[in-house]
Amino acid sequence: MLTIKILGSGCANCKKLEAVAREAAASAGLEAEFVKVTDMKAIMAFDLLATPGLVINEKLVSSGRIPTQAEVRTWLAA
Amino acid sequence: MSYVLQLLNGGAGNLAAYLAAHVLLCLLPAFFIAGAMAALIPKASITRWLGRTRPHYVSYPAAAAAGSLLAVCSCTIVPLFAGIYRKGAGIGPAITFLFFAPAGNIMALAYTGSILGADFAVARFLLCLLFGIGIGLLMALLFWRDDASHDAQTDALFADKASISPAAVGVLLSLVALLIAGTLKLWPLTATVTAVDLPLPWAEAWQATLVRWVPFDAAKGEEGVSVQGSLLIVLLVLIGLAAYKGIENIIEGANRWTWTALGLAATTLLVAALRLTPQAGGLEVAFTGRVFAVGVALWAVGHYARRLDSADWQSWLWESWRFVKQIFLLLVVGVFVVGVIRQLIQPEWIQALAGRNSVPANAVAVAFGVFMYFPTLVEVPVARMFLDLGMHPGPLLAYLMADPELSLQSILMIAAVIGRPKTFAYVGLVAVFSIIAGLLYGAWVDGVGFGWLALSMAAFIVVLAGALAWLHGRQHNAIQPS
Repeated sequence: MLTIKILGSGCANCKKLEAVAREAAASAGLEAEFVKVTDMKAIMAFDLLATPGLVINEKLVSSGRIPTQAEVRTWLAA
Repeated sequence: MSYVLQLLNGGAGNLAAYLAAHVLLCLLPAFFIAGAMAALIPKASITRWLGRTRPHYVSYPAAAAAGSLLAVCSCTIVPLFAGIYRKGAGIGPAITFLFFAPAGNIMALAYTGSILGADFAVARFLLCLLFGIGIGLLMALLFWRDDASHDAQTDALFADKASISPAAVGVLLSLVALLIAGTLKLWPLTATVTAVDLPLPWAEAWQATLVRWVPFDAAKGEEGVSVQGSLLIVLLVLIGLAAYKGIENIIEGANRWTWTALGLAATTLLVAALRLTPQAGGLEVAFTGRVFAVGVALWAVGHYARRLDSADWQSWLWESWRFVKQIFLLLVVGVFVVGVIRQLIQPEWIQALAGRNSVPANAVAVAFGVFMYFPTLVEVPVARMFLDLGMHPGPLLAYLMADPELSLQSILMIAAVIGRPKTFAYVGLVAVFSIIAGLLYGAWVDGVGFGWLALSMAAFIVVLAGALAWLHGRQHNAIQPS
């Protein structure tokens, strides 16, 4: 069971990132729990300089941009 | 009932003027530039100058550059501010970044220039840069203990290096050229190169209908809707529809609608650069020098954009579209509301409160800026309204300095990152500096000589330096207790 966290205050990019990540997980046939992190202090606990951030199993894999579905799938497989 | 109609007409008239050619020629390229900055400038190319070990003369200008180039939206401002403060160069550069970002970014500058005039944009930029660094230095001195305690943290977040690709530089420069070609009011851009008469007999009647729909009073500085304006509004709606189908999912690839939207955007810029005048029995289409300049700049943008990686130009389009979705609708609503409110405010009130460049007038303007919260960029049409109602340019600049920097919402957000005492110090400093900026600019507009201004500026800096030296001495004593 994977835990995928979306870091961001709820701006358009965070919603887009969540959609991309959900589709990537679904197409890879993986079950994952999605957590939206909107509290700034909780977000800043990770090392990032711009939202949206993507965290897979407590590891920050991307920040400040929206990755493609293919990228997310390789991170999910790792 | 007729009163309500008058109010609504005020809103519609303001909106119509807002959608006029000169504003579009500024805003449309500005959205693409903002998108390009967010997508094509790697953050590490600037943040690597913001590490803890960098000397002050590097980190403060770098913080201002970050504010100007990276931070067009709040998604970047808060995390970057917190990152610089906690893990990077410390409170001083973080404050410089925070102060400069809302005024120094391309959208704010381009929009201020096109609505309020180039001199306002230049004054806003220079004073915010100067005072942003000044406030940052003051905060660093006031709260030096705090930075010392952060030194144990790592610098890893700021260690990444990156540079901007040549194609991205080409895209950015040609977009800036497009913005300049579209907005400068200079010969040969304004000269008519050639004119064509189109046999469109309905053009004059259509103009008369538009005037009936949106009546305006040219004496009050209002603008109505021209034939050209109505054409541009139709084009904008079409761009919106095409972009919704073509750019919403651009991350996964482009489709036919993407190219339609981009083609329409280019067409809109070219149409906005034309000069259309309805005449008896036809429509005179004047090709200005601007049309050719905009055409060349558009070609250059396309030329460099073709060399970008597909991931790069896709995220560029996405970021531009996101800015449009985030800012444009709020601006449209904001401009409409400003037009309605303008009908309710008597010019005498504004003139009595802030008609002259005095300390109380500047203080009132700053207080208004702090307690009012306007969405991004709506402060500019609000400022235009005050200017038309007779506000002095000095207090107006003070308001423009204070409003985007300070609102109750942003004060709460800053307090969550740096704590209350520092937030109060910051708010106080911004208020004082904004009032001084307003007084200086107002004096300049009133025709006070440059020498006198330089002298008072120098006196201010001497007082500041004296205070800093005194503080520094105290710190020194604190480190080595006697």
